[in-house]
Amino acid sequence: MNLSARMIIVLTAVGLISGSLMAVVGMLTKDRIAFNRQQEIEAAILEVVPGTDTSEELFTEKNFTIYGGKNRDGNLIGYAVYASGTGFQDIISLMFGTDPNVTKINSLSILEQKETPGLGAKITDKELFLRFWDNKDAGGGLNLRKPAVSSQSELAPNEVNTITGATISSGKVLSIVNQSLEKLKQIKQAGKLISEDNDAE
Amino acid sequence: MPSKSVGAEYIKGLWEENPVFRQLLGMCPTLAVTNAVINGIAMGLATSFVLILSSLVVSSLKKLIPSQVRIASYVVIIATFVTIADRFMAAFFPPISKALGPYLPLIVVNCIILGRQEAFSSKNSVGRSLVDALGMSTGFILALLVLSSIREILGMGTFLGHQVMGAWFKPWIIMILPAGAFITLGILLAVALVIESKTKKRKA
Repeated sequence: MNLSARMIIVLTAVGLISGSLMAVVGMLTKDRIAFNRQQEIEAAILEVVPGTDTSEELFTEKNFTIYGGKNRDGNLIGYAVYASGTGFQDIISLMFGTDPNVTKINSLSILEQKETPGLGAKITDKELFLRFWDNKDAGGGLNLRKPAVSSQSELAPNEVNTITGATISSGKVLSIVNQSLEKLKQIKQAGKLISEDNDAE
Repeated sequence: MPSKSVGAEYIKGLWEENPVFRQLLGMCPTLAVTNAVINGIAMGLATSFVLILSSLVVSSLKKLIPSQVRIASYVVIIATFVTIADRFMAAFFPPISKALGPYLPLIVVNCIILGRQEAFSSKNSVGRSLVDALGMSTGFILALLVLSSIREILGMGTFLGHQVMGAWFKPWIIMILPAGAFITLGILLAVALVIESKTKKRKA
């Protein structure tokens, strides 16, 4: 067999075998990976809309999804909003929950971030940052309190704490939340939050 | 090839030809993911998986693959195992998969793996290639373990997530940042060189 033919045959064979191997592995792991992601989202929804029994996707677009959280009786108890946007280093993905009328934010949870460890990465810290997002007024936009204060009571209802040394990361989180809040209200007002099964179970 | 004993073939990966400290290969994952011990171990294991299987396949196919297309074939073979490792991690160890991020798929371009195929597996028997891959993998895991232990302990005061430093200890944040990786690796390489030159003198 001449050399070119051998080269073509070997490369084709290697390509075909590895391609089929990868296809098999892809099929075997696909469900499990989707399941992991689903679990992660459900855990986050439960965290930001406490008391959620079942949740469903009500609206979705690129980097933005609204979930409706229902309690055991099938009543809507709040919305969980998943959003991602640019942080200081890379994309920050977060989820926050509101009540059904979008008047207040229950709490905030950071799902993915690659901010500077020890500085910006403190946005995932409950003590330093996230607890100051509990029960905030969602009527207008939220503001950053700078310099940071140490107790929740020093903050106005529409104020959240800054992380000392990570003003930019704190600000990026705030702007993602503010933009998403605005979007949620518009979508809700336009009547686009449609549940697939309207009658409660 | 000088015929070494099987034991020597394994041992050489640990120190004499340690991929990180002696050959200076695979620096990208070495620097990037050693900010925590668990990430270092996971990276080491994933790389070992790919290295060992690729060495087995390459050494058994060495007569079939024409030398003109060997690199292309090696890369495809390596990429296949990397993809399998990546999907497997994403499916069964999602937190680690997330922490390693893009560095897991980047094992494809880790020079240790391609380097061993070209320098060893393509010229040696399947058995020897397996031993060589095992030795190199152990050497790589050990190097990552040393580097990530130093960085995690100094950078966060923890080891595998457990607090090991007392309350007096103020974590050196720089150690878990990229600069800390370079500083630690630099010091370790200097230490390796000193040890090497000392042992050489003794032999001479």
